[in-house]
Amino acid sequence: MKNSDSEYRLEMTGISKNFGVISVLENVNLKVKPGEIHALLGENGAGKSTLVKILSGVHQKDAGKVILDGEEINPKNTHDAQVLGISVVYQELSLVNDLSVAENIYLHKLGASKFWMNWKGMTKDAQELIDSLGFDIDASAIVRDLSIVQKQVVEIAKALSEETKILVLDEPTTVFDPTDTKKLFDNLFKLRDKGISIIYISHHLDEIFKIADSVTVLRDGVDTGSMAVSDTNTDGVIRLMIGRELKDLYPTRDVQIGEVPVLEVKDLTAKDTIVHDISFSVRPGEVLGIAGLGGSGRTETAKLVFGAHKKKSGTLILDGKEIKTMTPVCAVGYQIGFVSEDRKEEGVFLPLSIRRNISVTDFTGISGKLGFINTDTEYKNVLGLIEKLSIKTLSSEVDVKNLSGGNQQKVALAKWLSIDSKVIFIDEPTRGVDVGAKIEIYNLINEVAKKGVGVVVISSDMPEIMGIADRILVMYEGTFYGELTKEEFSEENILRYSIGKSLKQVV
Amino acid sequence: MAFTIKQQLSSPAGVLKFLVKYNTIFIFILLLVFSALISDVFFTSVNLSNLLKQVSGIGVISIGMLLVILTGGIDLSVGSMVALLAVTFAILVNVVILPVAIVLTIIIGFALGSVSGYLVAYQRMAPFVATLALMTIARGLGFIYSKGSPITFKTPGGEFMSNFANNATIGIPNIAIVFFLIVILATILLRYNVFGRLIIAIGSNEEASRLSGIKVNKYKFLVYAISGALAATAAVIVASRTNLGSPNMGMAWELDAIAAVVIGGASLNGGKGSAINTLMGVLILGLIGNILNLLNVPSYPQQVVKGAIIIFAVLLQRFESK
Repeated sequence: MKNSDSEYRLEMTGISKNFGVISVLENVNLKVKPGEIHALLGENGAGKSTLVKILSGVHQKDAGKVILDGEEINPKNTHDAQVLGISVVYQELSLVNDLSVAENIYLHKLGASKFWMNWKGMTKDAQELIDSLGFDIDASAIVRDLSIVQKQVVEIAKALSEETKILVLDEPTTVFDPTDTKKLFDNLFKLRDKGISIIYISHHLDEIFKIADSVTVLRDGVDTGSMAVSDTNTDGVIRLMIGRELKDLYPTRDVQIGEVPVLEVKDLTAKDTIVHDISFSVRPGEVLGIAGLGGSGRTETAKLVFGAHKKKSGTLILDGKEIKTMTPVCAVGYQIGFVSEDRKEEGVFLPLSIRRNISVTDFTGISGKLGFINTDTEYKNVLGLIEKLSIKTLSSEVDVKNLSGGNQQKVALAKWLSIDSKVIFIDEPTRGVDVGAKIEIYNLINEVAKKGVGVVVISSDMPEIMGIADRILVMYEGTFYGELTKEEFSEENILRYSIGKSLKQVV
Repeated sequence: MAFTIKQQLSSPAGVLKFLVKYNTIFIFILLLVFSALISDVFFTSVNLSNLLKQVSGIGVISIGMLLVILTGGIDLSVGSMVALLAVTFAILVNVVILPVAIVLTIIIGFALGSVSGYLVAYQRMAPFVATLALMTIARGLGFIYSKGSPITFKTPGGEFMSNFANNATIGIPNIAIVFFLIVILATILLRYNVFGRLIIAIGSNEEASRLSGIKVNKYKFLVYAISGALAATAAVIVASRTNLGSPNMGMAWELDAIAAVVIGGASLNGGKGSAINTLMGVLILGLIGNILNLLNVPSYPQQVVKGAIIIFAVLLQRFESK
């Protein structure tokens, strides 16, 4: 190791990063000692991944310094970072499915090697590496045939195949069962004892307290504190993760919520996703919030009810009548709407005009027997909705790709209002939308609810969901873990449920 | 619409924008003027009606191709389908009365197209692969049923069709009238009918269509079936023109049809294109062939020119999207 005055192996100081006008990181500091496990915590969107990507050369910082072993470094790409000894295991797996385990582990060397590869030697080395981790995987197996847990292990082996000084793990245990998690932890302890610095990103607070030596917390792109784990506890960390003030962003709603639920869901279990045993009901005029961490199954739940995902078992009851089979086509027929979180890919038709976007859900009102469209009625409908939703545009013929994010979102919503939906699922209603349009969308949700529609809002933005929902269901590992009434709303409570903990007892 | 055109033409930049927007019509007119200038024979009724007769068959399948391409797919089988269905029609016209022969041929075309449609929509096969398979199957069946040689029309019904196909009404060849009617029908469907609206929506964003409750599979299935029925119509046209059905007909027509649709400004990713522009694409390709023939340019250089025109047209469309 090089001589340096600092006790730290890695010092990231004053790191700032903007994407366009949005500031993602602001003056963030992260200091990691040799041979320690350092936890990096924060809510969705707090900037953890961006910070790690700056370290690994995926993103370039706008300001600040990264010092490794006393020398300033500036990795331009992941290869630079690897050469410096920084290896990252990302949340989304980055393996090549059609290559073998060994080829994947040494992928970064394949390009740099001489013309001929020593396949046998490579496979042997890979096998030794995996065996040393204590997992049973054949190094010559094709990655496609591995389970997701095995793939994750290969990712970790890949990160260790280099001379690694700093190993970053981004939510490594989400797919692991307790035995595998324990194996992983044992390995991490071994690596730590060898002097490797480990940066560990996780939502599971109990994990952090089991394995980490120190912790840094991010909130909204700012670091709110670094400390030794022995100096803090779960409550202390949660306070650092949240502690934001609710701004006056959320208009109050004056709605008479109906007595009889418009939609009831009983023990719904999905065929192909983690969603299981979902039960809830939504009443006319009610705004029901669904919270939970990324990957807990929120979007999948909405898609399951909407019929876009297949169900294995369970019952749907709309207006007191049981619905046997559900597909998006049926859902539209039953007047159930779904606004996707992925606006560009699943929500709107970017190359088509506003008029064509809005009319797409229903033609019965505007077309005759042979399917010929009565354009006068169509224009009237569409212009009415454009005005009602105050979509800012010169005409109904403007292509949706030319609209701002907020106005695109309104178009996505408009097509469900045009069929007089009884229930609307809105997934991340204000993602990528500026503040002004946010308030308009909240007003719109209120107005829709006022008309007696049952609105289900899914959101990762905790202040948002507390600001607009009447009650909140929190998801954890594919099912509803807890329900919060308006009196119980707090970021801490949502967070506790979404990591599978019970609420703190009020003394 | 009129005032926007006026607005656009009021400035030089506007004129350029206008030309880029309506580039297919512009290229067509340019070629028309150019042809008239360099050849005395071009603007004779004989030549023009020959030109129209030549393009009608490919024109009809191009409309089917357009519908498929609008959904983001492709139909490579249409050329071979023309061969198989021309043979089918020639056999039928010799055994059953004419209307039955025509209707049966179109039904068979629809059924063959349905096979591609089923594979693409319900079995999630890549359109390129499914229709490639249908392409070789149809060509093979054409040779099997005709025993490898052309089948000539022998009945009065066949004679009637041959007369119809080679004559004109008020100066326009009858088969070109059939083609134009199909273009008009397609235009109406695409502009004013739910069917057109939905296939364009599917082509522009299939997942959003699914999540908007559109029966995506049904419409994807239908466009291939319709493409098959239009291939049958084209088969009846070309067989009647030559008084026979041959398994060698429609060779590589699918490529000309794709070229016509692309020259007409449609996007192979789906969601963009119109029947009128496809008509222009068909006429542009036909014109190039015609004028090069009049200038006695041999067929190989003709292919080079055709390819160059396709590149030019598509490059021009790139300006439009900017």
